[in-house]
Amino acid sequence: MRTSIVGAVIALLLTISLTSPLVVSQGLTPKLGGTLVVIQVGDPKSFNPDAQVDDMGFPIFQNLFNKLVTLDIDYNIIPDLAYKWDVSSDGLTYTFYLYKNATWHDGVPVTAWDVKWTFETINKSKGIAYSWIKASNIKSIDVIDNYTVKFILKQPFAAFLSFLGWYGTFVMPKHMYSNYSDWLDPKNPVLQKPVGSGPFKFVEWVKGDHVTLEANPNYFKGQPYLDKLVFKIIPDANTALSSFLAGEGDVLAVRPPFSEIPKLNSTSGVIVRSRAVPSQWYIGFNLLRYPFNDRTLRLAIAYAINRSYVIEKAMSGYGFPARGGYTSAIKWAFNSNATLPNYNVTLANKLLDDAGYKLGPDGIRQTPNGTKLSIKYTYFTTGPETEAIGVVLKEQLKKIGIEVTLEGLEIGAWEQKVVKNRDFDIALCDGFQGPDPDNMRSRFALGAYLNFANYSNVEYYDLLQNASVTTDFSARQKLYWKAQEIFVHDLAYIPLVDLVAFYIWKTEFHGLPWESAGKVNYNSYALTWWEKGKSIEPEYIVFLKNNALAIVIVLVIIIGVVVAYKVTKKKWSGKTTS
Amino acid sequence: MEWKDYLLRRSAQLLLTVFFALIINFLIINLAPGDPAALMAGELATKEYIEAVRERWGLNKPIPERLVSYLLNVLQGNLGYSYTYLQSVSNLIAERIPVTLLLTLTSSIIAFFVGLLLAVKTSQKAFSKVDLFVSNVMLTIYSIPSFWLGLMLIGIFGVALRIFPTSGMVNVRSTGSGVFLILDIAYHSILPIVTLATIQVPIYYKIARNTIVEQSSEDYVSTFLMAGMSTSSIFKKYVLRNSLLPPVTVFALHLGYVLSGAALVEVVFGWPGMGRLLLSAVYSRDYPLIMGIYLVTSITVSLANFFVDILYTLLDPRVRYK
Repeated sequence: MRTSIVGAVIALLLTISLTSPLVVSQGLTPKLGGTLVVIQVGDPKSFNPDAQVDDMGFPIFQNLFNKLVTLDIDYNIIPDLAYKWDVSSDGLTYTFYLYKNATWHDGVPVTAWDVKWTFETINKSKGIAYSWIKASNIKSIDVIDNYTVKFILKQPFAAFLSFLGWYGTFVMPKHMYSNYSDWLDPKNPVLQKPVGSGPFKFVEWVKGDHVTLEANPNYFKGQPYLDKLVFKIIPDANTALSSFLAGEGDVLAVRPPFSEIPKLNSTSGVIVRSRAVPSQWYIGFNLLRYPFNDRTLRLAIAYAINRSYVIEKAMSGYGFPARGGYTSAIKWAFNSNATLPNYNVTLANKLLDDAGYKLGPDGIRQTPNGTKLSIKYTYFTTGPETEAIGVVLKEQLKKIGIEVTLEGLEIGAWEQKVVKNRDFDIALCDGFQGPDPDNMRSRFALGAYLNFANYSNVEYYDLLQNASVTTDFSARQKLYWKAQEIFVHDLAYIPLVDLVAFYIWKTEFHGLPWESAGKVNYNSYALTWWEKGKSIEPEYIVFLKNNALAIVIVLVIIIGVVVAYKVTKKKWSGKTTS
Repeated sequence: MEWKDYLLRRSAQLLLTVFFALIINFLIINLAPGDPAALMAGELATKEYIEAVRERWGLNKPIPERLVSYLLNVLQGNLGYSYTYLQSVSNLIAERIPVTLLLTLTSSIIAFFVGLLLAVKTSQKAFSKVDLFVSNVMLTIYSIPSFWLGLMLIGIFGVALRIFPTSGMVNVRSTGSGVFLILDIAYHSILPIVTLATIQVPIYYKIARNTIVEQSSEDYVSTFLMAGMSTSSIFKKYVLRNSLLPPVTVFALHLGYVLSGAALVEVVFGWPGMGRLLLSAVYSRDYPLIMGIYLVTSITVSLANFFVDILYTLLDPRVRYK
């Protein structure tokens, strides 16, 4: 009963939230002025956007820098520094034509030489995009003129543009780095005070508290509407929610506890929108270990897991049951015919009975080798749902006579134990599976570091390798579809949940990145505007209005303490004389 | 002469303690599970790439070699560079020290005096209804987790009443300068300080109250009473003075944890202090930064102990310079 109510509420929530903001935004003209405060969970690491994995810095870099091309909220490739590009028919030559009026925040023009330097350095210094753009596959980067640059590849790479538009590929100012042999030289001030080319300029970074950016009036695509963009850092999800509700932030980019989402959605002045993202929760089996190398056992477990129930119990209903061998959020690559086994306990039990997994006296099965079928579920403790998923699995596998114990580890320890040492039975993992299905190659295929199950089907690997170098769209799509069929047959991994991301913001702001598909990257506030617009009052009045309460309260407390001190002192000295 | 020898001996002990702490910290951190290179490389990295990262930060060298070079660097006052922030560890730590001290030191001092004052008030009528009531309240407060109290205060004063900010150190929408900046920081620090002070009050209260009650029943008190001294002057001149030693000791020992002891409250209030720096360093296995913070912490803890010993010799003449 409760299940269906939750389901209905979510369905309603999804439909309401998908339609309402569009209605609000339509028919209004953007206004200049205002500050947008985005609440996020952590600090950036440094302001070299290409050198390190930096998930907290990334949303900030997306407003400070540009890439050659970028990805919008639907992961479509859109122009950024390059207004157009050509790909040769053999898929080996990419020519990019750059905007001629783009400048760095210090006024120096952005040229093809910056592009060449950036990608050569990513290759030389092993930038973070090194693996996924296949930097070693780039034969040469030729500057045709100041605003035209040509990339020549050794082998075709179909996902090249997608990955160029994603992560660790920001074009960087060559002139700020040329005096340093290492692009991570701590002496280089630009690592703390970046010079970018994007819609916002850097103002200050108070570590652990906030990063402030201001509008770049010379932005080559036009000045942004907002005056200021602040990233406020709050590590605790409950506090972040409180801070948002208290009006200290305008966009809540720290996901609140699931239980708070319906309440937030009914708060006036707040919009909650959710959308499917190319990320999944999945479990992997240790194929190096008996009995998990037995496909029948894995198949039985797949039948025994009710994925909808996992979502309801462990994630308060937010998410979609995984359906196949890849995330359904990348629609063109997803094969809807390659389906995972559907929940069927009877069949699961029958499979195990037939394969010789006999029920023991305690209701727990034994392997054909005679050992007890008691398995450990190893998860990382990044949030409450990782454990909750385990609790559900334990309950469900009990029904087919498998005992599950839970082992929660801090993520670094998890990585060491599961990925590096392969010391586990089944493990939970998640991760971003876009922007291109080539991601499967680096995640699940033979030789991939993150392939902790040790899934080594050569046919699967060959299909993905082939797809990676195939430039013909439909041929490539067919290869991925075939790979997914093999993936759901082998079941080295069982995808559980397709994740949903939440966008939470105040109604008084419009033109947010997720409302601007096709125009800006998925974190850019270049088109965001505030309906109240610029204040006509002088700055100091605005400041006093914003801070009046602070000033009054602090003064009252100071006076109170002084008075209390005087009074007690009098009392005490009075006593001594008596 | 005796005094000088004592100081010298204790200082040598202090240095030795810090040195051993340094080595133990290094070994624990480097042997703990978690691979900084893999964490730095990200989830889609190839094995080749992870090895490149390992080499870049010198993590491919054997542990004894790294230990020696680390010790040599520390002796020259160089704590190294943080893997994540690419800044010198000493700068990163120095930035956070005043920010954290504002919370921890202020709250400890407030808690000390409030606890002492309450103890003085209630102990004069020991075992009365008021005394029992305060004792029970203190026990309740003592069992409240700091983060929970913080969240409650945020809910009441930040969200419902909107009198205090919920988090952070400054108003990010319009940050003032000069006096206004100081007022703003003070304003933002009130809730975290109240949280930290509240949970510490019972410690000082309990110790001070019990000692006062104990001291009040000592023979010397009866003697003075019979000699005709007033209760209040006995209390002020002898009982209170004799009762100060335990709470002062606790206070001084607490000073050892002023730098990294408020991590939970810092997280709840988004206060950019040392505790949070340590937590994020641990999550990203930023070895140089973790070791730097541990070093500073072991120094403060050792120093606090050192001062407690010195204090004892000053406050209590019975303690010999051993």
